[in-house]
Amino acid sequence: MRIIEIDNVSFHYKAGTPVLENVNLNVDKGEWITILGHNGSGKSTLSKLLVGLLRAKQGTIRVANVELSETTVYDIRKKIGIVFQNPDNQFVGVTVRDDIAFGLENLQVPRGEMIERIEQYAQKVDMADFLNKEPHNLSGGQKQRVAIAGILAMETDIIIFDEATSMLDPKGRNTILSMMKQLNDEGVTVINITHDMKESLYGDRIVVLKEGRILKDDTTKVVLADHKTLEKSSLEMLLPLRVLRALEAKKVDNEKVRSYLWQLSLTG
Amino acid sequence: MKNIVIGRFVPGKGFLYRMDPRTKIISLVLLMASAFVIRNFTAMFMAIGFMALLLVAGRINIFRVLSGLRPLMYLLAFTFIFQLLFNTQGDLVVAWTLHYSPLNILMVTALVMLWFFTKRHVKFKFFFFLATLVGAVALVANLRLGPAFATGTLDIYESALTTGFFIVMRLMIIVTLSTVLTLTTKPTDLNLGLESVMSPLKVFRIRTEEMAMIISISLRYIPTLLDEANKIMLAQASRGVDFSEGKFKAKIMQIVSLLVPMFIISFKRSDELANAMEARSFVPGQPRTRLHQLTWGLADTAALVVSLLALTAVITTRVVM
Amino acid sequence: MAIKFNRVDFKYKGDDKKGYLALSNISLSIQGEGEFITLIGETGSGKTTLVQHMNALLVANSGSVDIYGIKVEKQAVKKKKIRLNPIRKKVGLVFQFPEYQLFEETVLKDITFGPKNFGVPEAEAIETAQRVIRIVGLDESYLDRSPFNLSGGEKKRVSIAGILAMEPDILILDEPTSGLDPMGRNALLKVFYDIHEKLNKTVIIITHDMNTVYEYAKRVLVMRDSYLVYDGDPVDLFTTKNIENWNLDVPDILNLMHRMEQDLGITLTSRPRSAAALTNALEEVLR
Repeated sequence: MRIIEIDNVSFHYKAGTPVLENVNLNVDKGEWITILGHNGSGKSTLSKLLVGLLRAKQGTIRVANVELSETTVYDIRKKIGIVFQNPDNQFVGVTVRDDIAFGLENLQVPRGEMIERIEQYAQKVDMADFLNKEPHNLSGGQKQRVAIAGILAMETDIIIFDEATSMLDPKGRNTILSMMKQLNDEGVTVINITHDMKESLYGDRIVVLKEGRILKDDTTKVVLADHKTLEKSSLEMLLPLRVLRALEAKKVDNEKVRSYLWQLSLTG
Repeated sequence: MKNIVIGRFVPGKGFLYRMDPRTKIISLVLLMASAFVIRNFTAMFMAIGFMALLLVAGRINIFRVLSGLRPLMYLLAFTFIFQLLFNTQGDLVVAWTLHYSPLNILMVTALVMLWFFTKRHVKFKFFFFLATLVGAVALVANLRLGPAFATGTLDIYESALTTGFFIVMRLMIIVTLSTVLTLTTKPTDLNLGLESVMSPLKVFRIRTEEMAMIISISLRYIPTLLDEANKIMLAQASRGVDFSEGKFKAKIMQIVSLLVPMFIISFKRSDELANAMEARSFVPGQPRTRLHQLTWGLADTAALVVSLLALTAVITTRVVM
Repeated sequence: MAIKFNRVDFKYKGDDKKGYLALSNISLSIQGEGEFITLIGETGSGKTTLVQHMNALLVANSGSVDIYGIKVEKQAVKKKKIRLNPIRKKVGLVFQFPEYQLFEETVLKDITFGPKNFGVPEAEAIETAQRVIRIVGLDESYLDRSPFNLSGGEKKRVSIAGILAMEPDILILDEPTSGLDPMGRNALLKVFYDIHEKLNKTVIIITHDMNTVYEYAKRVLVMRDSYLVYDGDPVDLFTTKNIENWNLDVPDILNLMHRMEQDLGITLTSRPRSAAALTNALEEVLR
């Protein structure tokens, strides 16, 4: 079932310098798609278009069969949540509890239900013991978990992670990634925006963006094997594929090693 | 730097902590008004007694309240001295002849020197300063050492003393009450209370909810911004900026090198924060439910009644007497 | 020895009386030339605090830090007995976010800001700026631009140029590549490596990227809960220490080597630290 349909969308801040050009993209319910792209490829702009923080200059976006417009944007935001890159700049509440409550207050959820949901989702992201803590007492990873809880509590179907792990240390990154995996297993549609090829291994599908255009949109395995596209994309191929390509260039031909590296290139 | 909190809330137990912030705000206003209306000594002493009772019953550390008064001390002293010198109503209470002789002036200089060199070892600096001041005047008035080259007079009138006393007491009561409010109320509760108390202003199209949201976000980001300012200062110090240097030109440069990054970072922050809020369905002006709710208790009603009675009482006495 | 830590403790003042312990009993030495050090560890383990002691931005609560023969101690700094600027000129520190330091109208002014604070004449500072802007991989046309209209990667380069212009012996970079895409990161790492190789400066990098550590570092420092738990060779760190306890990842190259050894029985004689070296080593084995 289609949950997001992006049809021929273009966007620019200044006329003549397009940020996104003729983007077509469909996302199915429950899918995990990775949007890969270099800095300035337009991937964050795409996420802002999806939640109506920016308005497309051309084309249409439909979320759960509703076309995004001035009037529908508020309903669509109930369906899509977004976790941004900087953990500090999306923490609205004075405490963890207040922050998770923020979205619920906006949705006018009754207080009793609000309290229940806060407990439930704080537990889910493993932050139940931190409900009274203030943001400056939390690590970056913990703040991102609070952000996730805040969105989960709003019971959205789709979560966009906009470079949500790029400012975290390895431990923080790993917890966020495994949380994404768990949510996706439970049916949440995940859109992960990143420039780290390794993160794409978790997803079903990869969309490669370059300079505002979609370079490739296919299953994870197909894209990871497509060295031509990856070389064009200004991204870094996974190490096994890089080594494989270098061996090929040196004309070292060992079938066993070749197929082994090939396998690793697709599964990490 | 992370721990500066506006209003300096100090966690504690007493009944004032459990009270609804609305009660505290309204009572504060009523009691402040009462303090202004008071014009006789008995009432003023009763008010002071009431304050003391409040502090004791509320289990509030009196030294904390006093330290809240400290920055005000010099203003109070100035007001009082101003009254002494320029208020000429009522009976003459003190009529001193001031005797300026070289020896007297020498004595006063010696006293000032004594104050200057010993003040760092004295605990209550302000009172020490006051005592020195009074001592100096008393010296000039009472000692007659050697021939005077000039004389002056110091006349103090009754009304100067009483008016001065009332002004000082009123200011002290106001500051003490405000300190008690901020000391016993969490900034978030205070904000919630203010929003609620101000909500009638909606009639005049003042958007109290949004004001409350702004205050709440400021409370959230003040520690972050202070932390940021600290980092910027360190980054500039790394490039040779000496923030302790006092030359005017250097100062300007220091301030610019701190403020420009501060502004740019804050703008970026607020832009991202606005996006995050909007993405989580925040729409300015739209009704919201609230996680935090204020609960009105019996104690609140009682406190409000007492405050109202106090105001009525002082007004009545003033009208009647 | 350019920098010498001797049993350094440091505590941030906190909400409660205890404060927040950021450095515990740190002893280490750093040479004034030829070192390439990476400093790693979890968020909050004390990495940034440690490097801020290296140019006397912070001063130890107990113990001492010797920087180019100047003993930086609490009392001495408080009473202004030592001048800190000569230290800061020798040990340049680039903060994580370029936004913390950029404030002038043009890139040129921003780069010459540091040198001028240290008393370098304007003409000489401008010459230096023209030189360092190329070292960081930008060209001279950037000098007239406003630092605020640059991309994230360019801002970062300008902020590094601003420190390089002070001509420090030791260059410290706090998470210089976080948030950059792989191309941007690799290009910047190349810049640091060149600064280290060609100018023979000591470079210290704080990073969360284990691949950077494995490929570039000659020496690694690992911080954990305010303690310095490792100071030594990167290969030893990842092959002999229990790095999971310190919440570190295994570098990709090492990971791939392990797996090939396990699954294919291919054992390499050398310890390749870059993709190219790994390919060469494999070529040797397979031919």
